Formats: sequence, structure tokens, C-alpha cells
Amino acid sequence: MTTLHVLSHSPFGDNRLASCLRLLGNADAVLLTGDAVYALQPGSEPRRQLSERRLATRLFALEEDLQARAIDPAGLALAIDYPAFVELSIRFDKVNSWL
Amino acid sequence: MKRHRSPIGSSALGAIEMAKSLLIISRQAPWSGPGAREALDIALAGGAFDLPLGVLFLDDGVFQLQAAQQPGQLQQKNLAANLQALPMFGVDELFVSSVSLAERGMDAGNLSLAAQPLDEAELSALVDRYDQVITL
Repeated sequence: MTTLHVLSHSPFGDNRLASCLRLLGNADAVLLTGDAVYALQPGSEPRRQLSERRLATRLFALEEDLQARAIDPAGLALAIDYPAFVELSIRFDKVNSWL
Repeated sequence: MKRHRSPIGSSALGAIEMAKSLLIISRQAPWSGPGAREALDIALAGGAFDLPLGVLFLDDGVFQLQAAQQPGQLQQKNLAANLQALPMFGVDELFVSSVSLAERGMDAGNLSLAAQPLDEAELSALVDRYDQVITL
């Protein structure tokens, strides 16, 4: 069964992202919301780890959270809006929010 | 107490059980906030209702399993009794990340509660097999 992992905390000084990547399955996806979009900060270690995993079409970020923080997801994550967030939640068998 | 079949290697679980299986991932250290106790409360409540559920101790969550803790020093109630109650409530699918243990110099053979150590590949397989996942 596929899982959509939803992260909302900054990856700096927190290991949710790292742990999520450890147990991420081959068909699972990651959605970055809130401060978690800082993981896409160019030149940062979290961004490097994300690119290393080559998630391609399995990495998403909420557009408004990106814009609010001036983070450019180009080439790594797909920016999505809230309706697409809902569609993603339905497309995957389950959603795991890293609270 | 009714025992549930292991979700590991049991693809027919959904057909056997009316209720959806639930994996609770507990990743908070025991005494710095309510996270650890709340995860445990969910597990015990679910167990009391015979829900097929498992608990995975991950990251700082493995510190909950450290033997000989004395939370009374912090005016906190010990979680150990709640942990020991899990198998009595039918929650016997208990797992722990071997990487999280190793990072913290802990030994799977020396925990306050018997939990099955899982490596990274087994972790993804575990999450995959449950119908629902909650991470606290």
C-alpha cells in the first residue's frame, strides 16, 4: 500500500525529514508543507539529501508555503495547490502526517 | 484477550479483520512533552477495542524503552506500567528501529519491553503493510 508522507516542520534542528526518508517506500511520496518547505532551500543539506533520493515525481510542496518563504522548488519538487493536496491524499492508500 | 494475527506476512489481514489495521509510530522521548504518553494512550485505547494495531518506536522514541528510568525525580508518572500493559491489551506487535537504537548506544536485548528490532528495509515494509499510520 502506498503512503503519502506529509511533513510540516523545518528540517533544520529536527530529524522528521531524515527519518521519513529512512522508511520511505519505493511507491511512497513526500509532501512538504509549512516550514518543511525549507528543505528545498538551495545549497542546504536537506535539499542535497532530497536530490540524492531522486524522488522525481514523488516529491511535492505547497505552493503558498513556498511563495511565503521565497523558496524555489525548481528541478526538485512539484509545487501544488490545496485542491491538488486533496487529490494526492486520495490517490495514495494512506496519509502519514509527521506531527 | 483476543490475539491478532501478525500484519507481517499476512496479506489477508484486511479480509480477516473488520477493522483497519493501524500502525502508531512513537518518536518522542518520554519526559520532555506529552507525545510519548499520548501515543501510548492511543495504543492502549485501540487495544482495549480489539483493533489490530502495532507500535513502532523510532528516533528518540526508543528512549521510552530504556530500562531502570526514574521519572519520579521529575515529578512524572512512570510510563513503564503503561508499556507493560500493551501486551495485556492485545497490542503485541511491538517494533523498534535498530538504527535508532544503535545511534543511541542501546541494545535491543536490554529494553524494558520486548520489541522486535527492524532494519531500514523492514521499516518501509512495516509501514506498507498497515492500513493507517499515525506518527507522534
